[in-house]
Amino acid sequence: MFDIINKLTQTFGPSGNEKKVADLIRDMLKDKVDEVKTDVLGNLICIKKGSGKKIMLAAHMDEIGIIVSFIDKNGFLRFSNVGGLNPFVILGKRVIFENGSVGVVWYEENIDDIKNIKLEKMYIDIAASSKEDAERLVNVGDMAVFEAGTILQNGRIISKSMDNRIGCAVLVQTALNQPETENEIYYVFTAQEEVGLRGAGPAAYGLMPDMALAVDVTATGDTPECKPMAVKLGAGPAIKIKDRSVIAHPEVKDLLIKCAIENNIPHQFEILSQGGTDAGSIHTTAGGIPSGGVAIPTRNVHNSAEIVDMKDVENAVKLIEAFINQ
Amino acid sequence: MECGELLKKLSDIRAVAGRENMAAEIIAGLFRQYCDDVSVDSFYNVIGFKKGQAENPQNVLITAHYDEIGLIVTGIEDSGFLRFTAIGGVDAKAIGAMEVTVHGKKDLFGVIGVKPPHLIAPEDKDKGIKMEDMRIDIGYDGEKARELVSIGDVVTFNSPTQELLNNRIAGKSLDNRSGVAALVEILKELQKLKHDDNVYVVATVQEELGLIGAVCTTYNIKADLGIVIDVCHGDMPDAPSDEAFPLDKGVTVAIGPIISRKHAKECIKIAREENIPYQIDPEAGDTGTEAAVHAVAREGIPVILLSIPCKYMHTAVEMVSVNDIVSTGKLAARYIAGRSKE
Repeated sequence: MFDIINKLTQTFGPSGNEKKVADLIRDMLKDKVDEVKTDVLGNLICIKKGSGKKIMLAAHMDEIGIIVSFIDKNGFLRFSNVGGLNPFVILGKRVIFENGSVGVVWYEENIDDIKNIKLEKMYIDIAASSKEDAERLVNVGDMAVFEAGTILQNGRIISKSMDNRIGCAVLVQTALNQPETENEIYYVFTAQEEVGLRGAGPAAYGLMPDMALAVDVTATGDTPECKPMAVKLGAGPAIKIKDRSVIAHPEVKDLLIKCAIENNIPHQFEILSQGGTDAGSIHTTAGGIPSGGVAIPTRNVHNSAEIVDMKDVENAVKLIEAFINQ
Repeated sequence: MECGELLKKLSDIRAVAGRENMAAEIIAGLFRQYCDDVSVDSFYNVIGFKKGQAENPQNVLITAHYDEIGLIVTGIEDSGFLRFTAIGGVDAKAIGAMEVTVHGKKDLFGVIGVKPPHLIAPEDKDKGIKMEDMRIDIGYDGEKARELVSIGDVVTFNSPTQELLNNRIAGKSLDNRSGVAALVEILKELQKLKHDDNVYVVATVQEELGLIGAVCTTYNIKADLGIVIDVCHGDMPDAPSDEAFPLDKGVTVAIGPIISRKHAKECIKIAREENIPYQIDPEAGDTGTEAAVHAVAREGIPVILLSIPCKYMHTAVEMVSVNDIVSTGKLAARYIAGRSKE
């Protein structure tokens, strides 16, 4: 499974530019499902036919990144964020464009106090010597993502874009395992979650499932002096109770808990004080679709080195397999 | 049931946003006495239907949310204290020393403990306290607490509804059980009147989390006219006079960009003709109520907003006048009955 995670995290795909990720997943799954299609917003929909309930499993493909807004005469790029990006996190990092061009993020040194740093005071240096030189590599409107490797160490994985390629990996692995079920399963890899849960709602509207699960990352409360949160790495996938976008439907939440208990799958409960997930837009679609979520505990979310535990990932697959067989 | 009695019963119901399954059946029972059909959808919106007499009736959709704000358990400490966060807009300043019910494996009594004044450092005397620094104490130690409480269990405030002088009522969830009481008043009034339109009264869910029940409802029911019933700020000491309305001066009728001017005018005309007390509520923005959802649902639904003045909103001592609820019911019902056809 590390191989799947490695490929997924290393594929370029900021919000609105998910095509490479979609193509990769399509290749992985096309022989294991009955139908594969892409909708207008770029959601990839893989359907495993069945006669029972229609269950939508959603994981977003897009990752956070930057977008070039201006190129100055010396070839430095000014940029804006795509999704939630903390200026301190991107400072001094490498970013990579779709065509492989790499840039380094730095800041105007006339700033009084580094505390006051904002993205508009920062720039990307792509080793160009003039505007014309830069434009041979990059244009205004091009997006870039973190450039950082994917490493397996001590049963845990450190990588960029864990949010949410790890969710994609969980669904890919679930589909590859071909779990036994009468139900019709929609494996949906959604677009543009990081910019406002934009892909999942229309995907749900097109499919009209009976219920839905969003598979995404969640924060943890197990790092030094962090905010209290009852989720830690390695203690199992987190069953969503609430985040800023949704309160999990009581029936979906209770069914997940039942599946976890009956199958002896370690699990935790997610109450996320910041951020939302695809279930937020799915559950208000078309008169209401009961929705919940399974979250992979992840440290340093929205950073170039997010960390997950392989056991949590494998248990998430088991939990989802048990859920869709209900 | 007389309106005050009904409101007391409604405000004591426990239905935190997202966990309305605790109460949907009670609301459905209230609607059943007056409706041709009552159903509960998968999100626990409670839908009452009253058939119109016209051959090709139009559909009037009236929504009032029945969820309440509350708390949710986020952690259980070894000492047995429960950490929590808010569901909906709960003000940390207003909940210190409150009695609560923790809805665990069984309902548990709890208190939100606060530090006694003797132990507060002089420099902290005038400071507020953050919700993340507060705990619920249910008396048990960590082991016993974990047997009965899970992370994710919801918590409601213990504030039994009280009748005050002057036909006023105070309680924990008058936002917006007052609106639900008004729905029942409308149904009662309509029993006495002839109405051409089909009337759907819907007690909606999860308003406090972002108008979610109304989003589902306005998709499921194809309405020709929407009426939203919610609370507005009652006049109280220090309240800005243009955003707060005195109790006992009648229901407020909203005027503003998302409100159908035509229908609001018709409604005001009926209030005048029938001598029903009302106040004008200028709403420059999207109103922050379910009216914002009606207005852009499907192809767009003309919507009016009727509000019941409520003091101390989003605290456990919200206060309304029963008279304003009765006038809301009367005005909405008379308006529906007398509605001119296009």
